[in-house]
Amino acid sequence: MPSLKQLVVESPEEVGRRAYERIAADVLQDLDLVKVIEHLYIYVDPKVPIFIAAGKLRHMPRAIRVGDFANVNIGEKMIVLDIADETYLAPMLQKLWARYGKENVDQPDRFTVVLPVGVAGEEELELMMVADPSETLHMDVIYALQYLAPEGFKVRRQYIKDERFYYVASEDTLPGDIVETMVAPIFERMGMTL
Amino acid sequence: MTTLVPVTYKGGIYRHDEVMDLIDDLGGYVVQKHVMAQDVVLQSFVPRDDIDLIRKVARPLGGEVIEAPLVGTEIAVVSPSLEIHHLPHSACDVAEYLRRAGAKTNMIGLARGFGKRIANLNDEERDIINEHDLAVYILGNFEECIEKKFPALRRGIHVPIVLTGAPDRETLERIIDPPVEGYVGGAGRIMHRFKRPEELAKLDELVEEVSRTLDARRDDLARDPLSIFPPRLMAILEEQIYEITLLTHPTPATAQMEGLRVKLPYDLYADDLRALEIADGIALGDIADILPSRMRNYILIRIKPFSETGILV
Repeated sequence: MPSLKQLVVESPEEVGRRAYERIAADVLQDLDLVKVIEHLYIYVDPKVPIFIAAGKLRHMPRAIRVGDFANVNIGEKMIVLDIADETYLAPMLQKLWARYGKENVDQPDRFTVVLPVGVAGEEELELMMVADPSETLHMDVIYALQYLAPEGFKVRRQYIKDERFYYVASEDTLPGDIVETMVAPIFERMGMTL
Repeated sequence: MTTLVPVTYKGGIYRHDEVMDLIDDLGGYVVQKHVMAQDVVLQSFVPRDDIDLIRKVARPLGGEVIEAPLVGTEIAVVSPSLEIHHLPHSACDVAEYLRRAGAKTNMIGLARGFGKRIANLNDEERDIINEHDLAVYILGNFEECIEKKFPALRRGIHVPIVLTGAPDRETLERIIDPPVEGYVGGAGRIMHRFKRPEELAKLDELVEEVSRTLDARRDDLARDPLSIFPPRLMAILEEQIYEITLLTHPTPATAQMEGLRVKLPYDLYADDLRALEIADGIALGDIADILPSRMRNYILIRIKPFSETGILV
């Protein structure tokens, strides 16, 4: 099972640094992000004051499509969707209702959804996107970092795109070039460019 | 004169009224009674010489009597905010542990207690903390932050303070000026429950620190005793004011070291309380100040010392 490869916490105060190591490990575990985050680097200096967390995510799970969890059977009168995994059933129904209308979407039992023939083709249905786990994942990662940062550090700048993320927070106004001066060097040390 | 010592009785609900009657007959007081499903916990004061007798009576009922140093005290557990950063760990863990030692704890989440430079304490928070016997401040991990913010958080607080934080005790003692009454180092902001032996040892250390601080205050009180022992006043009020028994609060009247908090509306009951005759010809107003509490619309009773009133009930 993949897990966090690297967790580095740096701080001028040794006691605080050790405490933050434990906090970071606990938060990632609580929010079930250990499998999602590959590298996490934290720098915290209460004297400045500044809190920086930067890191790399693992490959994001791709978008979930109808074909991933249901069989699409086109019969003479009806299209029958045979659901194998209920996890994404609710968002799928929402999508189907929005596109084909509630009157055309029938669910005779838990694992079956029926549409009249002709409203959609097999390929169209199979490729229909139902959910994008990375959407909520990004929110979860930012939430974790907010949770991790000292509470008084309310001024913040955050970024998450593709596999890279950073979160800078302070009690005072952040300098405009903070990303170039402090965050970019951290990514360099992790062997990445921002 | 018999010395009353604070103890906790834990046992089953079956025939626990016999234990309560026994405590009453021995001249002790039950200040808090918790019933949880089949279990009952009585926080009480009992004569030192009679503890063995209570143990003997409780034995067939499966009850146990434990010394609980903090019974009859109300303690404020102050955390910088009620955000997820401080709750449920460590603030709730601390509050819960102090309760096990018999204290009545109130958690106080400050509105703007977070941050190094921006930390603040407003007048309501200050007054409410001052209504307690002691305040435990649960601060964080960095020495720098504790040093900078603590002066703001203690401004106007005149009750004893016990401070906890991640830096060790010596560091805390060095950075806090003027000194506070107690310190517990090595217990800062954490994100998991206090459960390892070394973490629980920290909580024990905290209880010890709190009871040491309160014992010092008890010694002062022994030199100039209060006009009435607060649990005794509590028993009298519960007997005389019928409405107290109708309140649904877990502790309708809360015993403190030097007074009581009565959870009745001040406007309606303050005058009745002042006029209440608690012994022959002595009104409560003669031996205590009846004040409005900053906590909701409750009443705070502060008992005056013997040296001031010349009355001992």
